Amino acid sequence: MNSPKTTGVLLDVNEYSVGFRTERGLAQVVDKVSFQLERGSTLGIVGESGSGKSVLNRSLMGLISSNRQVEEGSALFDGEELVGRDRQNFWGNRIGMIFQDPMTSLNPVMRIGRQLFEPLRQHLAMNKEQATERAVELLTQVGIPEPKRRLRQYPHELSGGMRQRVMIAIALAGEPELLIADEPTTALDVTVQKYILDLLGELQTDIGMAIILITHDLGVARGRTDDIMEMYGGRVMELSPSEELFSDMSHPYTQALFSAIPRVDQPKHTRLTPISGAPPDPIEPPSGCRFSPRCVYAQDDCTTTLPELRGSDEHQFACFYPVGTDASMQARSTNTTRGHTATGLKIQTAGTS
Amino acid sequence: MSQDVSTEAVLEAVEPEAAQEAGVAKKKLGWGFWLAVGWIVLIVLLAIFAPWLPLKDPNENFIDIQGKGRPPYGPSADHWLGSDQDARDMLSRTIYGARVSLVVGFSAVAFGFIVGGTVGLVSGFVRGIFDKITSFIMLVLLSFPALILAILITSLMERSLWTIALTLGILSVAPVGRLARAASLVFAEREFVLAARTMGAKPSHIMLRELLPNVLIPMSALALLGTAIAIVAEGGLAFLGLSVEKGSTWGKLILTGANSRQLEEAPWIAFVPIAALFLTVMALNFAGDRLRDYFDVRELAL
Amino acid sequence: MVVLLLLAVSMLTFVAMNVLGDPLFNILGPIAGDTENPESIAKIEAAEAQYYLDKPLPERYVRWLGDFVTGDMGVRFASDGQPPVSGLIKERLPRSLVLMGMAQVLALAIAIPWGVASAAGSLGGTPSGPRSWRFLAPFFLKATVIAAFAALLFGPTVTVGVVVWFVVLLSAHQVAGTNSVAKRFVDVVKRLAQNFSSALSFGFISMPNFALAVFLYYVFALKLGLFPLRYDASDSFLTRMWQLFLPALTLSLPGAAVYQRLLRTDLITTLQEDFILMARAKGVSKRRVLFRHALRPSMFSVVTVFGINAGALVGGALVVETFFGIPGIGTAVVEAILREDFPVVLAIVMIVAAGFVILNFLVDLLYSVLDPRVRS
Repeated sequence: MNSPKTTGVLLDVNEYSVGFRTERGLAQVVDKVSFQLERGSTLGIVGESGSGKSVLNRSLMGLISSNRQVEEGSALFDGEELVGRDRQNFWGNRIGMIFQDPMTSLNPVMRIGRQLFEPLRQHLAMNKEQATERAVELLTQVGIPEPKRRLRQYPHELSGGMRQRVMIAIALAGEPELLIADEPTTALDVTVQKYILDLLGELQTDIGMAIILITHDLGVARGRTDDIMEMYGGRVMELSPSEELFSDMSHPYTQALFSAIPRVDQPKHTRLTPISGAPPDPIEPPSGCRFSPRCVYAQDDCTTTLPELRGSDEHQFACFYPVGTDASMQARSTNTTRGHTATGLKIQTAGTS
Repeated sequence: MSQDVSTEAVLEAVEPEAAQEAGVAKKKLGWGFWLAVGWIVLIVLLAIFAPWLPLKDPNENFIDIQGKGRPPYGPSADHWLGSDQDARDMLSRTIYGARVSLVVGFSAVAFGFIVGGTVGLVSGFVRGIFDKITSFIMLVLLSFPALILAILITSLMERSLWTIALTLGILSVAPVGRLARAASLVFAEREFVLAARTMGAKPSHIMLRELLPNVLIPMSALALLGTAIAIVAEGGLAFLGLSVEKGSTWGKLILTGANSRQLEEAPWIAFVPIAALFLTVMALNFAGDRLRDYFDVRELAL
Repeated sequence: MVVLLLLAVSMLTFVAMNVLGDPLFNILGPIAGDTENPESIAKIEAAEAQYYLDKPLPERYVRWLGDFVTGDMGVRFASDGQPPVSGLIKERLPRSLVLMGMAQVLALAIAIPWGVASAAGSLGGTPSGPRSWRFLAPFFLKATVIAAFAALLFGPTVTVGVVVWFVVLLSAHQVAGTNSVAKRFVDVVKRLAQNFSSALSFGFISMPNFALAVFLYYVFALKLGLFPLRYDASDSFLTRMWQLFLPALTLSLPGAAVYQRLLRTDLITTLQEDFILMARAKGVSKRRVLFRHALRPSMFSVVTVFGINAGALVGGALVVETFFGIPGIGTAVVEAILREDFPVVLAIVMIVAAGFVILNFLVDLLYSVLDPRVRS
């Protein structure tokens, strides 16, 4: 393994798009997404189902094997262009990936040890003794008790949390520079979630690995990521350092997401505020801003023009009426007065947040 | 892959080949089905109308030493499919052979379906001692290596067309019965049957009007497959020399051609009936398979 | 339950043979009806004593059962001086077992690579480029095998045609990246090849085993001369194994086709699972994923049918043994039934039924080996 660089940009994604040819037309599932990931840092990618976050990552990694995929744009990994090439050589030793459901992501008929040995033997050319030693180390590192015993066990003999740890261990075994964690805690109990997320954070500090944390839950991303990128309808809505996102949110979508999180400090029986509407159709998306049909601030220009990312280098957002500005408040009152937004979304005049 | 629901939907819309690959049944019968049916119909018609067709006598020896030398004769204008070593015309022998093979096949299946189907249907519905006894009997029959049982029975009786058909029929009672029973069990639990019961309908009425139509569907899809198996079974018996004594069947024809000498000199003697048998069986299998997919019959404890 | 089953089977056979046939006649021949001649009468009485023919049917059955269970399978009818039944079995059973064993092994050996290959397309991943080793090697292998067959069977003209075809195919592949006509050509050929593969497996299933025997014999023994024309029990061990190869192949092909189809379906289902994706994402190669990760969890249907197939195999063995002239228990039982020699028939039927039961038991064991989740 080459001596790890500890600073600099590891992943540089520029106007990256992924579409699928279907009978109805081209489904643009990821639309001109750009971001940079520094070595050793964590990027949280947040979005609902259908936002394109999973496709983005699987596609970057090259795991999507459909003939109908159309990939455009550029993605430089450590200076090497990923788009347009066979990425199999990156798998496991330069980029690792862990998935949502640890029960189905581990081979049920194969012992844990063997599943761990594979990347060790393949990427690090270890023999049996070395691999066993390293496997035990890895399992200890992810916090699994009695690691030697676990090596001989099967996935179904472990609890959900432990399986997820094993999966992390396997992903780490190849010593990748980047770990993509696709909803790693969604299938786990809340108590276990915290441990896993803590673990990821620790590992990152210890190893200096970059992490992309994909989740639909803003709460999960908060505090555990250096930057957060929000996606909606295949496009980036807001991209900013984590804390700034919460203290200085700009995009209406962020605001809506934030309001939708149930909070412990609210009085009991407070109504949750969901975001009404449904994700856009990737084949025939709404003209203009993708979020406009569900946005309480939507004005006419939101429906005609697609907002590009604007703002500072650090904190970008794609909206004409960013939250907290005069323009935004103006837009809001216009909508409240007339009772609906430019896209026809009804605004309730009483009890709005 | 569970996370991104709409991505999955997109990918699925985008990868129908993957769904096809997985053998998901297309709800269409397809042109292959009709082709297969066409062949079956053709063979059946040829068999039925054989006596009226301009065919040579299948048992006559058309020896023509001066003109053609010693038999067997190869395919020619006189004998479209050649002749066998006794100078009998292969084309007509094959068509006449179809008569017996098909009749045996169809009647064996018919017998099996009627008897096995009834017993299975009743067992599945009535349950209790009757079911236990019949299930045991069927299990015994099934445990017998089929061919041995067939040989056993046929060797102890006179080997006429009907006894052979009967033997094969008896053999098919068990598998059909098991299927019918399974289907009957499934449907008997369904609400429409319970409803009929509570309305005071007599058991025989229920079995006839409610269960039978439903059980019939999976069974009929299997009828074609069963016929194919029966025809093959008869062929096997004939090959061992144990089929009908009079008349010819495809199996017997194959046997005539299946020794080293004939194969060396005149392979068509064996291969013409083999081809006929193979095409027919394949057509039946294919059509039965398509029907099964179409009706979406799951392997009800087959 | 099993014991009950075996008892029922034996009872049925016993009754059938005794009631439908005439044992005395079978033992002694025409003498049985000759009640005048005192010599004949003596023989008759001797036979009756030996086979307990004067006792009622149930008692005979029980006596037979007692003997059978203690290993004494009786003496064949019409057999003065011929070996007792157990001797016959001892001589012939191993041969048939070897035949059937070979057939099952061959069936799996054919079905597994075939099934994996036909399901591999489902694994996806970036297709290897036309110039890559991964593509060229199997291509040339296939081309060579097919050309060799053509040369052996059909002569020079056809072989040349085959070679030309492959050259065309290869060049189309190379330019398919840029030339759309070539690409379409390649796609059509690929689709046809897929259809051919499934048609082939369907064909094997539909072909009755005796017809297949004739066909294979014609092609491989007569025309190509690869196999001997008959079985000779006095030849060396290796020669005999080779002689059994073609019959075993005949028996194996329908089974292979069934296994292949089942395996393909199950594999395609398994390949959609998350752990396969995870294995790929770990960097495991396609081949390793197919054989080491996906194969084992996909074997269930095959193993199930494996057990059921054993029964069909016995019937098939009868036919194949008869055709190829192999003295095994298949031929033994056919001869015995025709002679109404029921100790032999009973013995063989019982053995087959028992064998079937044992095999299914082993299959159950196999399940728990394949899937550790079943063990608990």
